[in-house]
Amino acid sequence: MAESTDGSGPGREHGMEHASGRRVGASVKTLAMAGSVVALVATALTFAGPAGAAPTTGVTKNSINIGATVPLTGVAAPGYDEIAPAMNAVFQWVNAHGGVYGRKILYNYVDDAYNPSQTTTQTRKLVLQDQIFATVGSLGTPTQLAVQGFLNAEKIPQLFVESGCNCWSNAKYPYTTGWEPPYTVDGKVLGAYIKSHFKGKKIGYLYQDDEFGQDVVKGLDMEIPQKSVVSRQTYNVATLAGPMTSQMSALQSAGAQVVVLATVPAATALALLPAYTLGFKPQFVLDAVGADPATVGPLLSSFTSAGGGSTSQASAAVGLLDGIITNAYLPAENDLSNPWIQVDRKLLQNYAPSVWKKYGLDGNTEYGLGLAYTFVQALQKAGKNLTRQGLVNAIAKYGKSFVTPGLVPLGYTSKVHFGFEGDSVVQISPSAAQIVTPNGSFPGFTTLAGPYVTSPGKGPVKKYTGKASKPPAKLSKTA
Amino acid sequence: MRLFVNITLGGVAEGLIFSSVALGLVLIFRATNIINFAQGAMAMLTTFIAFSVLGKGVGYWPAFLVALACGLLLGGVVQLTLVRPVQNKPPLNAVIVTFGLLIFLEGIAGAIWGNTNRGFPAAFSQKGLVVGKTAVAFSHFDIFIVVAVLALSILVGVLFRFTTVGLRMRAAAFAPEAARLLGVRVGRLLTLGWALAAVAGALAGLLVAPTSVFSPGYMDLILVYAFTAAVLGGLDSPLGALVGGVITGLALAYVGGYLGGSLQPIGALVLLIVVLMIRPEGIFSQPTARRV
Repeated sequence: MAESTDGSGPGREHGMEHASGRRVGASVKTLAMAGSVVALVATALTFAGPAGAAPTTGVTKNSINIGATVPLTGVAAPGYDEIAPAMNAVFQWVNAHGGVYGRKILYNYVDDAYNPSQTTTQTRKLVLQDQIFATVGSLGTPTQLAVQGFLNAEKIPQLFVESGCNCWSNAKYPYTTGWEPPYTVDGKVLGAYIKSHFKGKKIGYLYQDDEFGQDVVKGLDMEIPQKSVVSRQTYNVATLAGPMTSQMSALQSAGAQVVVLATVPAATALALLPAYTLGFKPQFVLDAVGADPATVGPLLSSFTSAGGGSTSQASAAVGLLDGIITNAYLPAENDLSNPWIQVDRKLLQNYAPSVWKKYGLDGNTEYGLGLAYTFVQALQKAGKNLTRQGLVNAIAKYGKSFVTPGLVPLGYTSKVHFGFEGDSVVQISPSAAQIVTPNGSFPGFTTLAGPYVTSPGKGPVKKYTGKASKPPAKLSKTA
Repeated sequence: MRLFVNITLGGVAEGLIFSSVALGLVLIFRATNIINFAQGAMAMLTTFIAFSVLGKGVGYWPAFLVALACGLLLGGVVQLTLVRPVQNKPPLNAVIVTFGLLIFLEGIAGAIWGNTNRGFPAAFSQKGLVVGKTAVAFSHFDIFIVVAVLALSILVGVLFRFTTVGLRMRAAAFAPEAARLLGVRVGRLLTLGWALAAVAGALAGLLVAPTSVFSPGYMDLILVYAFTAAVLGGLDSPLGALVGGVITGLALAYVGGYLGGSLQPIGALVLLIVVLMIRPEGIFSQPTARRV
């Protein structure tokens, strides 16, 4: 080992190797070690450089390089693969109008197939190789939990994670921030509505047995009196292969009159199918995650058509969804009079025409646009001298006043890193204007009550009295 | 009481679906001595072909027959091109080839039809039958499943027990050299075995799709439960596959209804362990020196 510590460099070691008659394998090893010493010194130098000169990694005079990991393939891809391309529509608009302080936003989203081990590899690649400034709009609870420690240790902002897990607001991880309302807030808002509108009725739950379902139920239980909950059913999403007949039979036998589902879209369909078979018609209340008519509708329309009726994905005969109550934190995409919906549609048409042709404005593309508006404002507030710490500070200081399509304000402070503070309660209704997308027309939403605001903790559910914000004039005019 | 009846009916309906896939596994195992991990993926592909044919507006039953015919073809082609080269090699080779085929077929289907979740229409209404005044968890479509799966298991049973072709197939699979010496065309019979098993698979795919969320991976979990069912039944017995499927379905349903839905997979696992401890060769298998 003397060769590697004498620091004389590869050339000299090569000579020594000949003199001492060592085997080639040993020589290669020594060479490699010497090489890595050189590389380490070089790395140290590059890291030392920027600290003095101050430009932040991923930021130049005319560009900001951001990244994300999202599912573009695999089980979670359908629907969720629309979000990042929709976000890009906003960034393209910003870039076409001079960027933020002259800097264009370059959005580099890569596929992790909703697999945490791939998230880890891809995130490291984004950070170490592509030199991103921050991750923005990465998707998923298990996937983003896997890189939360790494990104925070590197002091890289992990912004607007696409998940309602309570885990994004954690003092241990100051660089992480959520965007949508926490699932517990969804549960509290729905629970409060059930308590006041279905007094004395028997309530049943069917929920996914992981952080998502458990967080929703935590919120429901804070509001709904325990004696009125007659049955609590669960399912395991990883092993769900067929209709949930056992669980629906149990809810029916318990006499549940209101059934709350905290389910992903496929599970919603596999819960409503046995309810249809059994002729079980309680009032269904769904967490928004599993209630998108454009996603669940096509699954159900085939279940109810027999003898090879139309397989058209666009079938509007989705009677099973009619009357379902759910929560919403963005304006309904069927409300064409809403100024945000008008801007959203124009932006997709003009700045992401392929997304518009393929998906139109549905729940997922609307989500992506809203998230991107939020990020652009965070950049504006962070100022001309953009740093990672400066961006995180700007979100904490100004986040509550960001102008977003949200029905209620964002809840950001230096301590709270949750997104929207509440939801409205809405109902899928055959009489509402339909949601029209390139993939068909689906029943739209009408608002029942709200919006409400609350915290994921013990605080009460209160009616939100402020006004919904309007899109900035420049955006409305030039989108 | 109503709860027990509904859970039981739901379990039987789901169990028969496992049986239909397990029958394909048994058929291939008996006819070629190989466990086909691509059984579910092959069924998925033929069901997607039926889906495309349905989209042309030809009606359900023509699409149904197209799927079965494609199954016959697919099974034969897979045997001739992929399985024949590994037929007399160590068993692990065939396992790896069929696993590879599973991944390949799911990739192909994803590339052609996309990974979107879809609905798939059922042959008959999925509205529950009405007994007295209440609907029970058993629909017209479930009756069709019962008839189809029973017919399939009887056909497979008759084939192996009462026909010369069936006897030759078994001989070709388990004693190929002796069979060849006796004038049996071993190669052709192995191809026939795969083709028939793929038809059974195609039928299973059409039965599973309407009760599930239809996508390229929709048969993966079903195959796991079907494999449990086939092993319970003894892997080489059509009756075993039938009963094994129903037992697996009932176990999942009772655990789901009385202990909690998130415990369901553990129910299947416990069942498998108990049966394998008491009767390692499976419930209906004839005990022999040969083991899988």
